[in-house]
Amino acid sequence: MQRLPLAGIRIMDFGQMWAGPHLTQWLAVMGAEVIKVETRLRLDFMRMIGVPPGIERDNFNAGTGFASINYGKKSITLNMNQPMSRELARELIKICDVVTENFSGHILERWGLGYEELKKIKTDIIYYTGSGYGRNGPHQDRPAYAEIIEAYDGSTYLNGYPGGGPATVGVSPWTDATQAMHGAFAIMAALYQRNRSGEGQYIDAAMIEGSANFLGEMVMGYAMNGDLGERMGNRHKTMVPHGCYRCKGNDEWVAIAVNGQAEWKAFVKTIGSPAWTQRKDFSNQANRRQNQDELDRLIEEWTRQRNQYEVMELLQKAGVAAGASLNVRDIVDDPQIKARRFFVEMEHPVIGNITLAGLPWRAKGRKKGNYSCPPLLGEHNDYVFGELLGLSKEEINRLKEEKVIY
Amino acid sequence: MAKGALSGLKVLEFSDFISGSYCTKLMADLGADVIKIEKPGPGDSARSWGPFPGDKPHPEKSGLFLFLNTNKSSITLDVKSEPGRGVFNRLIEWADVLIENYPRRYMVKLGLSYHKLKKIKPSLIMTSITPFGHTGPYKDFKGCDLISSHTSSEAFGNPAEGVHDMESYSPLKGPVHAADFMTGLTAAASTISAVLSLQRYNSGRHIDISAQEALASVTRQELAFCLCEGLYPTRQMGRKRVGGFLYPCKDGYVCIWIGPHWQKLVTMMGNPDWTQAELFKNPATRAEHQDDCNKLIELWTREYTMAEIDRLGMEYDVPLAPVRTVKELVNDEQLAYRSFFVEIDHPVAGRCKYPGAPYKLSGTPWEIKRPAPLLGEQNTEIYGRLLGYNRRELAKMKQAGII
Repeated sequence: MQRLPLAGIRIMDFGQMWAGPHLTQWLAVMGAEVIKVETRLRLDFMRMIGVPPGIERDNFNAGTGFASINYGKKSITLNMNQPMSRELARELIKICDVVTENFSGHILERWGLGYEELKKIKTDIIYYTGSGYGRNGPHQDRPAYAEIIEAYDGSTYLNGYPGGGPATVGVSPWTDATQAMHGAFAIMAALYQRNRSGEGQYIDAAMIEGSANFLGEMVMGYAMNGDLGERMGNRHKTMVPHGCYRCKGNDEWVAIAVNGQAEWKAFVKTIGSPAWTQRKDFSNQANRRQNQDELDRLIEEWTRQRNQYEVMELLQKAGVAAGASLNVRDIVDDPQIKARRFFVEMEHPVIGNITLAGLPWRAKGRKKGNYSCPPLLGEHNDYVFGELLGLSKEEINRLKEEKVIY
Repeated sequence: MAKGALSGLKVLEFSDFISGSYCTKLMADLGADVIKIEKPGPGDSARSWGPFPGDKPHPEKSGLFLFLNTNKSSITLDVKSEPGRGVFNRLIEWADVLIENYPRRYMVKLGLSYHKLKKIKPSLIMTSITPFGHTGPYKDFKGCDLISSHTSSEAFGNPAEGVHDMESYSPLKGPVHAADFMTGLTAAASTISAVLSLQRYNSGRHIDISAQEALASVTRQELAFCLCEGLYPTRQMGRKRVGGFLYPCKDGYVCIWIGPHWQKLVTMMGNPDWTQAELFKNPATRAEHQDDCNKLIELWTREYTMAEIDRLGMEYDVPLAPVRTVKELVNDEQLAYRSFFVEIDHPVAGRCKYPGAPYKLSGTPWEIKRPAPLLGEQNTEIYGRLLGYNRRELAKMKQAGII
């Protein structure tokens, strides 16, 4: 772990669900010591998501959904209803650089762990709070999930096929990911600043405000022209053809994007210059746009005879952008993903050997970063309370019995 | 004026369209000094993308460009010419960070590979953004927002609620330029970690961002279900497991997240009889009959308007939202309360509303100090004052079309 960018940085993480944990997962892989604060009384919902067959459904150490966003971290259990737990939390924060949380509602403040309080015991603390709508304003306490924010920010309205209705964006929690990465960026920027000025700060991140940035051009279009946008499916304002086409196999697809006349010529040649490509209807981008439905049908006659990788490689060799539309099962065997070792393997004490998506970031040289196994619930209680806080074994056992460490 | 968190950080941007520009926008808006290199003539292709006021194209009025390039300086430079490359190398001496999103082979041809540039500046951080990364069999394949969405498995999972007629509907890319933005954000988070390393160890490095991986990273949970549980979503019904479904109502749609909020939802709907059936009370059997459950919820939602359901959601603390357009987003009361949108004056495009800070930093706030630059606006300042070229040299370079 030597010389990872965040080596020596310690983070007290009250994150749960998706956005908070994925944020600190980035920082953990980059070398920070992330201490995840949990409790048996109110388990992180993700701990039971995706338990593999053969393991009891309520085994909170076996959720693969949890594993996918929590590797690289340590876990402690603290029952924050107890005053002693809050005292221990304060002691720990004194030796941390960053505190993160993404509760719905002002939970940390209720525990006496708000930024103003913490600043008194650790003057240069960086305090990150992530929420759906921000920590002030009329909607501040509303619970939020990715799909809710996507409906609220206008993405769902724009997501869908031309002529069809609005559709929820993707199976994966898209705006959780945008919040996680915006947050990781902001915390590291604050660390950069702290390293120079010696000052910490409070970071208030609303999921909606990050996701609205991804819709920048829509906001500008509305502000300039009152334009609401439309559902474009896989189509594009200028490039034609630009779509996703059926291939030979069952539910097998390929995406193709042809940019400009030179690429169109290369495309025509690659598909064997069939007679229809010479028609005036398809002679230039404007005409192709006019006759896009028919064009897409004709292209599909060609793709349908081939498999997705065959189409991808034929077109790419000719200088035309094309890519297999992969499902999560196929991407594991994708030659590019494999060659770059995107997946990481871990030996998990409960689940066994697991393969998980790595981060799209890699450390310098061969080492990929801190990919230690996702923690069992409270796995690092003895290390954190014993080694870091200096409590004796007897004291720790007593606190466990008293359901403080719980 | 307060100093930004990244004030003093020197960033050179050699990129086109969205991914590289969003990456450096995040830095510039926190105070980094960003110099953007554009092609003489047309400049960045975002300048010709739009939206334009009154739909009249103008290189200084493109909404996408104006949004993505706040707080930056623009210089024009023909890097394909020998003297142009000389100027580029001078800029590398100045920069801490180089962000670029051109094809790998193009950068090598220009003599601007990391290998070459680190000889000029050993501590350089260089971030390369490409569709598939700089290694592997597809390293020189072309891509764009569409291709990254599909090759990453993100599009296969979209839309989330399943397609009734799988033969008629293909996998779907995300709305607008979602994939390009995600790639740019991934590059920013990766680059800033290297900036911390530079600060601590004074060591530079090359960061190789693959758009395919940046997007595949978002599907990590579904990848885990697939690899560890043997489950993978088909494109038919039932792929969402716990919440986030759309329900039609009187004047549009609402999205409701059930998950652990079932009881609150039942109370909000006024405890209809069907919710008392054992089948729906038990979370496990309810999940098995999610489609039936959703049809029954829809009977209730159809009786109300989006605004009515939104108010009820607040009252009963149920996570839900109406499916809104960008109009409601721009006029939202919560975002107004937080002063999220910012009005920016631009010398050519005029005054317009822009999305604001993605995060509020108390000590070193996000801030717009100046609007997006005109094409080559800082040529004189940067070539003259920063690099020390004299007026005659500048005139010569201009004549030769280098700047």
